Amino acid sequence: MIELFQSLLTPFQYDYMLRAIWVSALVGGSCGFLSSFVTLKGWSLMGDALSHAVVPGVAVAYILGLPFALGAFIAGLMAAGTMSFIKAKSRIREDATIGIVFTAYFALGLILISLFPARVDLKVILLGNILGISDPDIWQVIAISAVTLLILGMKWKDLMLFCFDPNQARTLGLRPFLLHVTLLSLLAATSVAALQAVGACLVVAMLITPGATAYLLTDRFGKMLWLSSGMGVATSLIGAYVSYFINGATGGCIVTLQTLVFLGVLLFAPKHGILASRRRVRTSESTFVQ
Amino acid sequence: MTDLLEPLQHAFMRDALLVGTMVATMCAVLSCFLILKGWSLMGDAIAHAVLPGIVLAYIVGLPLAIGAFIAGLFCAVGTGFIKQNSRIKEDTVMGVVFTGLFAFGLVLFSRTPSEMHLDHILVGSILGIARSQMWQTLGLGGCVLGVTILLRRDLLLICFDPGQARVMALPDRFLTYLLLSLLSLGVVVSLQAVGIILVVAMLITPGCIGHLWTDRFDRMIVIAAIAAVGSTWFGIFVSFHYEVSTGGCIVLTQSLLFVISLLIAPKHGIYFIKWRSRPKREANKNVF
Repeated sequence: MIELFQSLLTPFQYDYMLRAIWVSALVGGSCGFLSSFVTLKGWSLMGDALSHAVVPGVAVAYILGLPFALGAFIAGLMAAGTMSFIKAKSRIREDATIGIVFTAYFALGLILISLFPARVDLKVILLGNILGISDPDIWQVIAISAVTLLILGMKWKDLMLFCFDPNQARTLGLRPFLLHVTLLSLLAATSVAALQAVGACLVVAMLITPGATAYLLTDRFGKMLWLSSGMGVATSLIGAYVSYFINGATGGCIVTLQTLVFLGVLLFAPKHGILASRRRVRTSESTFVQ
Repeated sequence: MTDLLEPLQHAFMRDALLVGTMVATMCAVLSCFLILKGWSLMGDAIAHAVLPGIVLAYIVGLPLAIGAFIAGLFCAVGTGFIKQNSRIKEDTVMGVVFTGLFAFGLVLFSRTPSEMHLDHILVGSILGIARSQMWQTLGLGGCVLGVTILLRRDLLLICFDPGQARVMALPDRFLTYLLLSLLSLGVVVSLQAVGIILVVAMLITPGCIGHLWTDRFDRMIVIAAIAAVGSTWFGIFVSFHYEVSTGGCIVLTQSLLFVISLLIAPKHGIYFIKWRSRPKREANKNVF
């Protein structure tokens, strides 16, 4: 029994595991918080696009020796700007525009990386490297998460109104354009932080899945915020912890766990789950017969 | 001139050009349907979702293409099922499903000792393609291309107006699933050449270029195919000469072509729209 406990506690004896666990939890929490807004606004694919579009920024920052978060953030905002420009100026649909722009940025990043293969490791960008995260990178993650949580915590009601109904927000004297840019910048900044933890391919999961799960569990936005950030923190903690035992990729474990939780909620959620709605249909049918 | 033709003396360059042409044509034709149907990001989702299929097929010992195909189709069908049975929007569902599958594939991959390189799956390696792979790509790609071209009228109607298709007694469910299967197969075939992430570009950008140049569907297909094949050749040559990522060069060339089309395409280009609206404004002035 004691041996079992000891083996369960082994991950905590390693410094790198402890760091990986708490940094993932921090990233998971801020992504989870933001994911409620993303789900509500219908920006799911924006998260996907931004996380790929930051790659050339990361490459340039590494090549020039700048903090990589800065390069990534600028590239993300430029990509978002390009998207809205093409969308406004042509008859191409929005989803196609997003696809074109993020693949173009990503391709540019690939070319830059293949020009300077020694400076940047493509695998680290794509899949993250939370187990080997360096101290400056941890500080970047902390700073980004703190700023994101602070702004979201202060302005969440305005942002919520903007997501639900931009026109209403305008009539109330809020500035939708400013809120739009704020939310977009937060999204870009958070994808940069999450890039460290789970890599470009899985950032989008951290930015969608908790929000979608919480959306199935409640109808109140305030509650949804708590649920999604709680789920982000919990799944990241447990996923990083479990990855030690099954010896699997950390980011992969976190996101797999999130998806499993989502599937569980999809089936068993009290009001919006599949089983509940089936039951409701059956009850209404039987009352109809009576 | 001899400098330019020098790459053609290498067998691997000839193979790469051949495979590139096939993949580019197939993806370009598919992309025309996808952008009309609004499925641009379905290609993205399916491309990521094939990873667990590839790894599982490797473990079991099946051909990788079969595993990838099944996983891709599973993603598309799963997305449809969850969307119908919950109140979550389609794009969110798609994101949840494909990242879940990709993450699962990643965990499986990191636990399976193999000689597969994740880099090659993610960003492709067209210059290092093996002969057996080449024949597989050409064969499967030819099938996808042939079926798509043969059934293009029916598939087009499904994309534009499913209701009308049903009225005309076309098997609309069957055709939708057929298009999904063709898309999954197309993604699997292209993985070798350009990798998971850039397949997405091959499946969106050429169609959009065609869409900017013409209003007629047949012409759109031809323009998309020409743009895709041209940028593939150009990309392969550039990457050979400057030793940079091949997939990156191909996709960036396509994107540049898109930007040029966006600016100067007759009728739908930015400059043309400006130029057309100017006389109108002056005419309005005269009226008042």
